[in-house]
Amino acid sequence: MQRIWLNDVEAYTGVAAVDAYIGATQLSETRGMDYGGSHVIEDLVRGKEVKIRATAYGTDCYPRKEIETTITINDINQAVLCNPRNAYQRYSAATNSRDETIYTYMGTLLPNYGNVTFSGAGVLSPLYKDPNYETIGVGTRIFLGGAQGYIAWEGTQHNPGKALGTIMVIGDLKEMNSRYLRGCIIDRYGTSLYVGLGIPIPILNERIARTAAVSEDQIKTQLLDYGVPRRDRPALRDVTYAELRSGKIEVKGKEVPVSPLSSFKVAREIAEKLKKWIEKGEFYLSSPVELLPRDTQFKPMKQVIGAPLVKDVMTKPAITAAPEDRITRAAKLLAERAFNHLPIVDKQGKLLGIVTSWDLAVALGTGKRKLSEIMTKKVVVASEDEPVDSAARKLEQHNISGLPVIDADRLVKGILTSEDISRLIGRRAR
Amino acid sequence: MNTKILLKYAEEALNKPILAEVIRKSSAEINILHAEINARKGEILVGVEGPPAEIEKIIKLFEKKGVEVEKLEHIVALDRDICTDCGACVSLCPTGALSITEDYSVKLDEDKCILCEVCVPACPVRAIKVKRP
Repeated sequence: MQRIWLNDVEAYTGVAAVDAYIGATQLSETRGMDYGGSHVIEDLVRGKEVKIRATAYGTDCYPRKEIETTITINDINQAVLCNPRNAYQRYSAATNSRDETIYTYMGTLLPNYGNVTFSGAGVLSPLYKDPNYETIGVGTRIFLGGAQGYIAWEGTQHNPGKALGTIMVIGDLKEMNSRYLRGCIIDRYGTSLYVGLGIPIPILNERIARTAAVSEDQIKTQLLDYGVPRRDRPALRDVTYAELRSGKIEVKGKEVPVSPLSSFKVAREIAEKLKKWIEKGEFYLSSPVELLPRDTQFKPMKQVIGAPLVKDVMTKPAITAAPEDRITRAAKLLAERAFNHLPIVDKQGKLLGIVTSWDLAVALGTGKRKLSEIMTKKVVVASEDEPVDSAARKLEQHNISGLPVIDADRLVKGILTSEDISRLIGRRAR
Repeated sequence: MNTKILLKYAEEALNKPILAEVIRKSSAEINILHAEINARKGEILVGVEGPPAEIEKIIKLFEKKGVEVEKLEHIVALDRDICTDCGACVSLCPTGALSITEDYSVKLDEDKCILCEVCVPACPVRAIKVKRP
């Protein structure tokens, strides 16, 4: 088969003639973000029927070109869970400085530092408990989705130097339990899979005893501002998992509620279960057959064509006006200079609002005279160091055609319009 | 106890200050949670603080003024069979109706809920359900 869909979620078939790999974050072609590969995996584990549709180009070996059927996990010979990135050692906590809600892989982030989210089990995070990777390595037997599985390799983006190690894990899906393997939806971001995972750490020496005994007030991470649409998001403060776990932390002088994104209750349950297995002799500790690398580095993708920033594309300086200026004067200005967006600024040049040619057209004949009477005060803005792609997304989401570009003091540095972006695309095409 | 009540106004009741009159007469602690009013009808969802007998009295007052009253019970629910106790919802809840207990379970206090529904799509496993009438 060349293409296959399980409950309308496409799986990858370029593995071998009748093998397929379904990714947890692949979305349904009919239900969008409400259902994804992770849900197919959960449905299989629950023993539910899954609809299969596959197509092929037809060969002498495999002449059939189409198939539609249903299967359950019992109908297939093998079902293997192989997760390329799992069990992050720790992760940054997230908040949002923007004045609008954003929907991120760290969950829903409310405006103006309205909440904080964090990920990881903290004191029960296995990779944090053996950060020197003395007992955790290739071949280590682990608790995986309610069954026994193994560490296959270092995980993708494994970055132990920054205490951001990850592992790749593998296990028999047929033995797993949906209590510890759940499909999930991160609102307006996509689907993912909650994987219940536990690693036994034998205390072989003093060093391991020390690292395994680390408590949550010793596990630090950074609180990042996900409201800044750049890869290097600014860190607002250091924070410990103990503070995060308390349910409230201080951000910019304000007490802010905190949400964990993974279940600490289930993490404790897994630790307890694994302990029982070991005590009963049902689970044997294994030493790694190969150690995991401790010096890998994680770099962002090399981009041959640099991602342009707003400052590279924007029109500058922007023509601005004062709130007390006359509407008629502004209309004349826009007509003469042929532009559509007029930022309104105070005496220092700080952004107060915006008036567009549309606003001027609507104001005609209303008897209003001053720009302050018709300007939009809640302005969607961009910053100079923001990638153009992020600004373009704002234009699209708010159905507008221009963004004033401001600095941290709200001083207007220029304006970015859809024409600027069209010009950029024109340049790229050449 | 906090009881949620849906007040349905017919067209002819729209221009009367019924809510104010009821509050004056009963000194009820009424919190408006949601309101939708157009030219033909109005609907106001309120939370009322007080014991059941007090609530019944307030309902009678509204009914006397020609407002149709519907008491809403158990319209929000956290499905324990689905919830993974992750806690993603708790920091989004504006009233603390969703919280994490000492044993790290997620708990929903229906009394404190104002039906804003921010948590509904934010729940990664869709365990919170609101049944509006």
